[in-house]
Amino acid sequence: MGKLQAENIVKVYNTTVLNNISFEVMNGEFFSILGPSGCGKTTLLKILIGIEKPTSGVIKCDEQDITALDPSKRKMGIVFQNYALFPNMTVLNNIMYPLNIKYKNKQIAEEKSMEFLRMVKMEDHSNKYPHQLSGGQQQRVAIARTISLQPEVILFDEPMSALDADNRLSLRRELKKIQQQLHTTMIYVTHDQEEAFSLSDRVMIMNSGNIEQIDTPNNIFNHPASDYVKKFVCDHLTEKVSSIEKCTGINL
Amino acid sequence: MSKNSKLNILILLFLGTTVFYPLVTMLFQVDWSTFSTLINSSAFKESMHNSLLSTSIATVISILVAYLLAYALNRTDIKHREVLKVLITVPMLIPSISHGLGLINLFGTNGIITRFIHLNIIGPVGVVLGSLLYSAPVAFLMFNDGFNYIDNNMYHTAKVLGFNKWQTFKKVTLCYMLKPILSAAFAVFTMIFTDYGVPLVVGGKYITLPVFLYKEVIGLLDFSKGTLIGLFLLIPALISFLFDLLVEDYSDGEYMNSGIEVDNKIINILLKIFVYFILIFIAVLFGSFIYFAFVNNAVLDKTFTLKHFDYVISNGIGKYIFNSLFIAVAVSVFGTIIAYTAAYFTARKKGKLSHIIHILTITSLAIPGIVLGLSYTICFRKSFIYNTYIILIIVNIVHFIASPYLMAYNALQKVNQNYETVAKTCNISLIKIVLDVIVPCTKKTIREMLAYFFVNSMITISAITFLFNTRTMPLSLLINNYESSMMLGEAAIVSMIILMFNIVVKSAVYLIGRKEYRKNYVDSK
Repeated sequence: MGKLQAENIVKVYNTTVLNNISFEVMNGEFFSILGPSGCGKTTLLKILIGIEKPTSGVIKCDEQDITALDPSKRKMGIVFQNYALFPNMTVLNNIMYPLNIKYKNKQIAEEKSMEFLRMVKMEDHSNKYPHQLSGGQQQRVAIARTISLQPEVILFDEPMSALDADNRLSLRRELKKIQQQLHTTMIYVTHDQEEAFSLSDRVMIMNSGNIEQIDTPNNIFNHPASDYVKKFVCDHLTEKVSSIEKCTGINL
Repeated sequence: MSKNSKLNILILLFLGTTVFYPLVTMLFQVDWSTFSTLINSSAFKESMHNSLLSTSIATVISILVAYLLAYALNRTDIKHREVLKVLITVPMLIPSISHGLGLINLFGTNGIITRFIHLNIIGPVGVVLGSLLYSAPVAFLMFNDGFNYIDNNMYHTAKVLGFNKWQTFKKVTLCYMLKPILSAAFAVFTMIFTDYGVPLVVGGKYITLPVFLYKEVIGLLDFSKGTLIGLFLLIPALISFLFDLLVEDYSDGEYMNSGIEVDNKIINILLKIFVYFILIFIAVLFGSFIYFAFVNNAVLDKTFTLKHFDYVISNGIGKYIFNSLFIAVAVSVFGTIIAYTAAYFTARKKGKLSHIIHILTITSLAIPGIVLGLSYTICFRKSFIYNTYIILIIVNIVHFIASPYLMAYNALQKVNQNYETVAKTCNISLIKIVLDVIVPCTKKTIREMLAYFFVNSMITISAITFLFNTRTMPLSLLINNYESSMMLGEAAIVSMIILMFNIVVKSAVYLIGRKEYRKNYVDSK
């Protein structure tokens, strides 16, 4: 359950956005797609979830071709950068709204909702409206809403880009915990190396519509597959080093 | 075919038959050989000259007055500015014909003021003054909106850089306001150029182009000539339309009322006096309606009477009120549904058809009501909807759809674009997510759309003037009837009835909005 394969995905708008991309995400894996803005990672995500169709290529889930399948039938969930919470509903209702349809029973839906709210530590805020919450809290609710439907694969579209550093760190930890608890396959799109490397089992580095490397964070650091990856990783390290130098006053 | 594209095609069909088809049919029946005879005729030359002259003068004054009002109400320390802003726009709640009527009440041969100072308002002066009343509040709203978006920091920066007043105005204010000023100038010019309500009442022998068209069609039933004149009315509307389409806005649309205040005390006081002067003028004008409604005769017999009310009632005012309300409510409800649905597809579901729908919907902005009405007369004269309420409702929807459509378009674009995707992954149907989330998110806009359609349907005469009959005649056209029989008291009463209904609807929208705002943002904190 939850093994995802992309085979020879091509997407052309006016220019080629995705250039013959193939990769595989294992069941229960935390898989990040990392790259600068404009590299095609969001388009790839839209194709995986099914709101965009590839120009050519096949998406498979557990060996079944789902390329033409409607998003509602893919058993996938998605978390967006801008939360996409329903502003006219309370936290509890945001989660209950789809669960009411799923279970057709208000009591079960409410129990389930509270269970997942507890998982993201938002049970005390269940009667608040989204505009009364901080960005980090809103994203927790959005995550709870997504996992409450128990999808086999969850896609994240830069979920922490709008958050401040503190919130990012704590949410990252909790996300990791949730993943270990639920064993859901997670595909995480980001341009933030630290996020990708600290969270993921494997990282896929993309550059202008092509895959540069797919590997574990360790291997990417130790054996970068191309000059692009080397520079990408180096820039990140240099930045880290200079910030450490700035803080400590020690020349490394 | 999916449900979406079916709905898309339905909207396209509606717009095609109600916007495109009548215009094309109208153009095809024109006898083009008469074109040169028309433009060389002295009647045409004279009315064209009159129209251009009075419209140009009225536009310049209107823009100046509106800008000063907006400036004064945003930059001086005037008290109760929000209430005053609303009062400035009250003239927008009555038909243009009533603006003319108000002027006759004050400055006509038997006018209240004429008795003290002798003035001859009938003719070009009256047309300019009436047009001013009719158009300045619209320009005021555009400027008021523009002032709200000027970034305060720009003024601080200008001060730091040592700009003088003129440089600041040129580099900061104009940078933000140039587009609103030009937009308003084009819009006001078009409004006045195509309006026939004011010149019909106060123009006298001063015939403008729309009145010329009106007389040719109503009096002589010359549709071909009417269309040719109508084409000239289309020109400024088209220019105005293209301008808005092509020129981009400088401000980034972020609301940031700055409230930098006028530091010169004398200018501050003068501006405030100006605002009160205009408001007193508006009050006197509306007061004249009440005065005329309750006296026997404004000059000869100034005793109190209810005879005008008796006459209006015995003449079956109830029927006209019913017609007006029925049309306005129907236009409001169906117009909002159509505009909102169209906007939903163009703002949130970018498809091939969306672009055509967008263009067709805002094209209606470029068609003057009188021309639209004429095209409907020509096109649907032999169809079953002619002489029914249906044609009046449809023509009004088409005439007014552009603004509410754009309101919905802007609001829907701002609503989180990911809701539909979330709905899909959560197995929530599109219609359910629209009704449960997207409609509630935009209900303020929806209320404004309903009110816009309602108010404009209540006051319009231009689009329906060739299409009504004695059975379907609304209040706004009744004013014309009474006025032309010199029954000023009766005409005043009808104007007040229209005003009353519009105030009720506007207040309802305002009160619901305020209640909702309190519930969401005050109580919850």
